Amino acid sequence: MVNPIHIVSISLGVAFFLGFLRKANHNLTSTIMLLAFAANAFISAQWLWAFIYSNTEPFYIFTAGFRPPYSISLLMGRNEAIFTFLINIAGLLSGIFMLKTYLRHGVYAMMAFLGLILGLNIIILTRDLFNFFVFMEVSSIATAGMIILIKNVKSVSAGFKYIVASSLISILLLLGIVFIYYFGGSLNIDDMITNHLLVSKGAEVAVFLVLMSILLELKPFPANGWALDVYEGSLPGIGALLSATSATAVYFVLNKLLAFANPYWYNVVAVVGMISFIGSNLLGIKQKNAQRLLGYSSVGQIGLLLVILGFSNTLGEKFEYIAFGVLISHYLAKSGLFWLAGIVKQDNIKNWAALQKKPIFLFFMGVFLFTLAGFPPFPSFFAKWQLIMELSTAGMYAWVIGILFGSFLEAVYLFRWFGYAMKGEHNDLPMFELPWHKILPVVIGVLSVFGISYISKDWLPGGTSLNFIPLYFIAFMYLIDFAPAKVKNTIVILVITYYSWLVIPNYYNTDIIRLIFSSIFLIGAILTLIPGYLKKGSRKGFYPAALLMFSGLIGLVESTNIYQFFFSWELMTIGSYLLIIRGKYSMPHAFKYLLFSVGGAYFMLMGFGMAHAGQASLSFDILRTGVPYSSIIFLLIAIGFMTKLASLGFHIWLPGAYGESEADVAPMVSSILINAGVFGFIILMTHIPDANIGYFNIPYMLGWIGVISALVGNIMASLQEDARKLVAYSSIGVMGYVLFGMAMMSHLGWLTAITYTINHFLFKGLLFLAIGGVILRTKTFNMYEMGGLIKKMPWSFIAVLIGIITLAGIPPLSGYAGKWLFYNAIVLKGWYIQGAFIMFAGIIAFLYCFRLIYAIFLGQLKDEHRNIKEASVWFIIPQYIIIITIMLFSAFPQYVLNPIGNWLSQYFPNNALVWNGSLATSSLGYWNAFNIMMIVMGMFVVLLLFLLLVNRGSKKVGQFDIVYAAERPERPETTHMAYNLYAHYNKAIGFLITPWITKSWDNISEWVNTIANHTRKIYNGNGQAYALHILIYIVIAYLIINGGLF
Amino acid sequence: MEYIGLITGFILVILGIWGFLTQKNILKMIIGFTISDTGINVIIVSISYLKNRTAPILNRPDLLTDTVNKITDPVPQALVLTAIVIGVGVTALMLSYALRLYQEKNTLDINNFKDLKW
Repeated sequence: MVNPIHIVSISLGVAFFLGFLRKANHNLTSTIMLLAFAANAFISAQWLWAFIYSNTEPFYIFTAGFRPPYSISLLMGRNEAIFTFLINIAGLLSGIFMLKTYLRHGVYAMMAFLGLILGLNIIILTRDLFNFFVFMEVSSIATAGMIILIKNVKSVSAGFKYIVASSLISILLLLGIVFIYYFGGSLNIDDMITNHLLVSKGAEVAVFLVLMSILLELKPFPANGWALDVYEGSLPGIGALLSATSATAVYFVLNKLLAFANPYWYNVVAVVGMISFIGSNLLGIKQKNAQRLLGYSSVGQIGLLLVILGFSNTLGEKFEYIAFGVLISHYLAKSGLFWLAGIVKQDNIKNWAALQKKPIFLFFMGVFLFTLAGFPPFPSFFAKWQLIMELSTAGMYAWVIGILFGSFLEAVYLFRWFGYAMKGEHNDLPMFELPWHKILPVVIGVLSVFGISYISKDWLPGGTSLNFIPLYFIAFMYLIDFAPAKVKNTIVILVITYYSWLVIPNYYNTDIIRLIFSSIFLIGAILTLIPGYLKKGSRKGFYPAALLMFSGLIGLVESTNIYQFFFSWELMTIGSYLLIIRGKYSMPHAFKYLLFSVGGAYFMLMGFGMAHAGQASLSFDILRTGVPYSSIIFLLIAIGFMTKLASLGFHIWLPGAYGESEADVAPMVSSILINAGVFGFIILMTHIPDANIGYFNIPYMLGWIGVISALVGNIMASLQEDARKLVAYSSIGVMGYVLFGMAMMSHLGWLTAITYTINHFLFKGLLFLAIGGVILRTKTFNMYEMGGLIKKMPWSFIAVLIGIITLAGIPPLSGYAGKWLFYNAIVLKGWYIQGAFIMFAGIIAFLYCFRLIYAIFLGQLKDEHRNIKEASVWFIIPQYIIIITIMLFSAFPQYVLNPIGNWLSQYFPNNALVWNGSLATSSLGYWNAFNIMMIVMGMFVVLLLFLLLVNRGSKKVGQFDIVYAAERPERPETTHMAYNLYAHYNKAIGFLITPWITKSWDNISEWVNTIANHTRKIYNGNGQAYALHILIYIVIAYLIINGGLF
Repeated sequence: MEYIGLITGFILVILGIWGFLTQKNILKMIIGFTISDTGINVIIVSISYLKNRTAPILNRPDLLTDTVNKITDPVPQALVLTAIVIGVGVTALMLSYALRLYQEKNTLDINNFKDLKW
């Protein structure tokens, strides 16, 4: 194998040699430089290969013919091989990315670049402290030289600030190293470790100086103003290098040197990291400049890595996996994003909308952002999961909260940025250039992310149990994204049908709950995909997003442990976010949706962590009453599910997210996705049926939340003018019923909740499809601008009619079943006050149901709708499939409800229904669905015949022929009162829906923004102030450490 | 007297850092840096000093026996050479930056270079 010393000799040799080629063609010289990096990378790679596959011993390189401590030695071990490989590959890719820059600036720039990478390689390999200092300086000087490759006042002043800061740090570092030698008598790191040379008090101060200097090189908040300016002011390629390579190398050095320090240093590192992680991510929220934002994010990620390093002893053998997962994600994503910044060339994050001109770059950006934010299937997800689990096991919940809070803040600014890029106005923005040398590194970065994701999942306990097959299919769908939508729609429907056929029958007779939910998720998917046939063109990006959501949903049902569950949950979040943001005005709503989802998921993750603590297993059984903190676990996980159910307090994202999404996406998210929360609650509550905090019974409180959600959701729905928003608000109401039913923790309560879930899936899908089909024709969402469509759209009218009959719980349809069960359950439980509220909410539901049918279909036809046609057949087909299902479920509910009852009896044996055919008997009364259906149908037919009979000779009246009313209206609007229909009710009970919840959330976000804005003023732009920050940081750190805090 | 080098060195370091942090003129800041850099070099040399010993240059026959107890520590003296070279490099870089900054804004006041902040 090639001796690692040749990394040094090649870099140095080429750098000197280039000096002779000043006059030569720059193409030649830059090729030589790239070859040097490739050779370095090859050397690292072959060592890496040897360490992994043939268990080679670590290799020492002795220089100058002496053994240490009389000479400098280098070490190539497995970790050194990994890190030098990362550095050299980054050098190669950055070199390619910045090829134009090097061609323009010639050999001096290339020499500086070689010096930078050489310096970083050596500080990784070296075992000698002074040698470390020398090459630290070499790489600093090279960096400073490269910052001014772009010559403007910003980069020059940023570069000067960089030198000021780094020379101050280097003074302290050198001082520390000299005194380490003075007290320890050696400069060799191994010597210090094996002989414990650094035990005296004086040596501790020296070690303090060295380690603090290295920490400061990692740009800890708030002593990092200089670094942020450099990220903002230099070329994006340099930003990528600084963020990905320099930080990586220095991180490695810190890990290396901590070995000879007093163990309390690990705690110091963790604290420094946590302050950095939270502080930097907080300030990032106010950033508008893309590169500076990436700088804040870099500082934050390094902070997280420091926390992980600080807990390396706690994490034990998992440390390497976790640290590597976060590091590699940061390394790839950050360099990728900096490179994208170099391609799109827009400072302001709002102008990244230019990426829409080349949608594949949005995909690249998305991959990097989701990698950074720790979403599956990217390596950071696995690392973060493992980190939370291990820290929870060690009982360090404060740290878990800190990590999750910081991650949330990071998600805020990353996804706001992504929202701008995806949906911002891009017509005025210039198209960016796409030279091959800039595209290549980005593509390699994206492919590496996926490659490492694929490898890394298997290295984790339980990782192999994750189902990646849907992801392969999604990748395939993305590859054929250019195909016409109709073709892709057919493929997707066929594949989902096949998958349903594989999955659903497994649950038949074995698991009724999973049977129901897998049917809702998969058959619902097929039904809501049918309207997709209407779309012309290729509908780019739709199918991967929809499939991500559906595979996440079915993954929830198929999961057998919390790990698979959380993995699927996060997949579903990505998919639904990408679906929702497709709507024309969806950007802010999708952003809100994502923030609530991420926040909820972190609560859930914390709950899972607490449950996992002390129990080796990952199965759902670890969630049970009796484990420590089971009530808190219940509450945390319940909050996660409530964000998806849009329970009151967590509902503010829903109306916009559902209302503004595309016509066929709205039924996907509102009637299918929302059930993920219900399924979660079923899992949670069957495992932890009894949760109390102090005197408070948590399910009892959830019941009240459900009641109020039902009431407020229904009132809000009644007061909407926008048909889509009306249906969306109604979801809040119905999910309130479901939550209330579950919270009763009784047989009938749960039966009600599940019945409502099935009903909601059916009628909400039906209504959203019907409304969506109508809106596509009328081109308006406002109900008062419609009217009289009954004759133009009879099929849609019947669908909406069936939908609202089911929704309102009017016999004979299945909504009535839900209501009958509900009142039985409430009376048996004895929750009369809540029952009264629920009844009141039910009456309000009539209001909006009436409004929906009256304002759209009844009344007067508007002039502009004279020639309107029935909604598209692709919308009608799924509606009538749903209607048939509703009819069957209404007439024969026993085939569904009886098995559910049997399943429920294992948890709630009391007060079960007794079924006899379609006759259900509770302890309060009985109900025969089939008979009711027959009677109502009979009455309907009799009345219909009677009306036909008496109307035989009646005269058909024209629309404006109402002279008997003594007026002669000229426009349809004047006879169809639909605008602000419930003004009087609004006056009476409108105070109930004062949006104080929305206002409270707005206030919280306002406070966070204000704090961030004030805090970041410490970065006043003055290089001296930044140097002062460094000094103050050191002094405070010294006082705290020697003040005995650690 | 044997600590005079060490004390002088520390005084220089602190003086230099003080100048570095308080002088508004960029050239004076650079001078501050070089002063503290020199201070560090003095410190490095002075910690290798051992009383009643001579320089680690084996130019006399009597030094060839029992060498270890007759010479001062040679390692810091080797280090200081490298440190001086690095200091020169950094100073040169700083000066070239100062030139650039002056070309950009015709001023050397550090307060005038706050284009990037927050």
